[in-house]
Amino acid sequence: MAIKELKQQLLTKKLGAAELCKSYLDKIEKADGEINSFITVCREEAMAAAEAAQAAIDSGSAGALAGIPLSIKDNICTMGVKTTCASKILEDFVPVYNATVMEKLNAAGAVMLGKTNMDEFAMGGSSQTSYFGGVHNPFDTSCVTGGSSGGAAASVAAGFCAAALGSDTGGSVRQPAAFCGVTGLKPTYGAVSRYGLIACASSLDQIGVLGDSAEDTAIVLDVIAGADENDGTTSQKASGNYTSMIGAGIRGKKIGIPKEFFGEGISDEVKEAVMKAARFYEEEGCTLVDVSMPSLKYAVSAYYLISSAEAASNLSRYDGIKYGYRTDYAESYQELIKKTRSEGFGDEVKRRILLGNYALCSGYYDAYYNNASRIRKKIIGEYAEIFEKCDVILTPTAPTTAYKIGQQENDPVKMYLADICTVTVNIAGLPAISTPCGYDAAGMPIGMSLVGKAFCESEIIGMCDAYEKAFKRQEVKR
Amino acid sequence: MFDVEMTKHLAELSKLTFTEEELKKVTAEMTDIIALMDRVKEIDPALETYALPAVRYDELRRDTARESLDTDKIVKNAKAVKDNAFAVPKVV
Repeated sequence: MAIKELKQQLLTKKLGAAELCKSYLDKIEKADGEINSFITVCREEAMAAAEAAQAAIDSGSAGALAGIPLSIKDNICTMGVKTTCASKILEDFVPVYNATVMEKLNAAGAVMLGKTNMDEFAMGGSSQTSYFGGVHNPFDTSCVTGGSSGGAAASVAAGFCAAALGSDTGGSVRQPAAFCGVTGLKPTYGAVSRYGLIACASSLDQIGVLGDSAEDTAIVLDVIAGADENDGTTSQKASGNYTSMIGAGIRGKKIGIPKEFFGEGISDEVKEAVMKAARFYEEEGCTLVDVSMPSLKYAVSAYYLISSAEAASNLSRYDGIKYGYRTDYAESYQELIKKTRSEGFGDEVKRRILLGNYALCSGYYDAYYNNASRIRKKIIGEYAEIFEKCDVILTPTAPTTAYKIGQQENDPVKMYLADICTVTVNIAGLPAISTPCGYDAAGMPIGMSLVGKAFCESEIIGMCDAYEKAFKRQEVKR
Repeated sequence: MFDVEMTKHLAELSKLTFTEEELKKVTAEMTDIIALMDRVKEIDPALETYALPAVRYDELRRDTARESLDTDKIVKNAKAVKDNAFAVPKVV
């Protein structure tokens, strides 16, 4: 049920907040065994929050999300509730403070059902690198969910929550949303506070929302967006009122189609589905504009060098001393740190740390990090040129649909190249939204992305909503 | 050229250790990854690098003292605590 309808039913007392919360918790308990979308389910805390939300509804002081059950990605700090980043090194870490988004959700009366599974430290595109086991796609449990917010996407697709918070460093909200057939919104860098989001790559990370529709993601974004004194990179330009363009009409909009996003490596089924969506917009009075991003061929390499360099630095804090896993025995301080990290991190995290330090180390910095930085500036410039010709950009969200578990997760280069459609948005700090636009021959969802100008979330949400109202989405058969 | 010696050097910088067998596997994986990263060398070195937006000091919060988190709560997440402080193996 849409969040708007849930709110209506809660406010008119057709539905009780505790009753609603319990129905979701029971569904998780019954069906998440084969999906593994949650690392932690907070039954007691959720029921208490639902009862508090009901009291607020009864007293006429309900917040914007009073009684709405959400799932939260397990890299967002939740005071008193384990936050693991799906890593052994944070297996039993219990934050002593809330992320800003959690403070805002709590103030709005939202109910956190639990913490969702993910790729370890948000590094991956399959959600199979989790220390707590991989996540299974609700459309076909033999397939991956995408990642890194795979648990978040699966929790929405399986109907375990009304919406979910995820995080997106290089596509980690949009790509799993595409693989699981739901909507995923990555806001502009600076629109949502990262305070309390466990850092992966600080200049690229952004908290986003996954839901059943563009409207649902907008309703949640309205609550979590805004400047925050605890995050100096947040902006006053994060305006709120993200549902304002819903139903406002899309006639006359110019949609850029960058040819490089439809080239080699993108499956024919994906190309056809996205171009069919483009023709829908044309029929609705929009104009399709041919545009180009020549630097796309460098994007994956530049992204992995920048993000790994930042991650290597961010993850240096895990030493076994202040929190998290600590090796059983070490004779020296240095040995303690090395053994803890070697035993606590998974293989992909170690590869990223090595790559990041390679890009930053003496003799290689200019050839790798600086060249990646040059490409970053070039891509930002190319986006600016494209937006002189159009209002939004339409691309596939991923080159393929969800693949079988075990098919390619063990090939790092193949996995990195699969991020080609999403990473430039993070490199340029732009907002983008992914929504289903078709299904492949096996019935797996295909996602398309609308990319907007910085702080123009409302525009892509409005455009996405117009498409969603015309597209017949297939529900998970469970 | 990425080789086992380079992996050992990076492991030292990264505070990671690998067995001899792991070193071979990681070196092979990193060789493939670096080959992909080498694409960035095709970019014109005369181009400007990206600079993070300048910090707007007038927009930062006032530098005033605020209540700190309780020490008791903070050390609760540590595996070894002595006298309300983090305990580590002897350094000197």
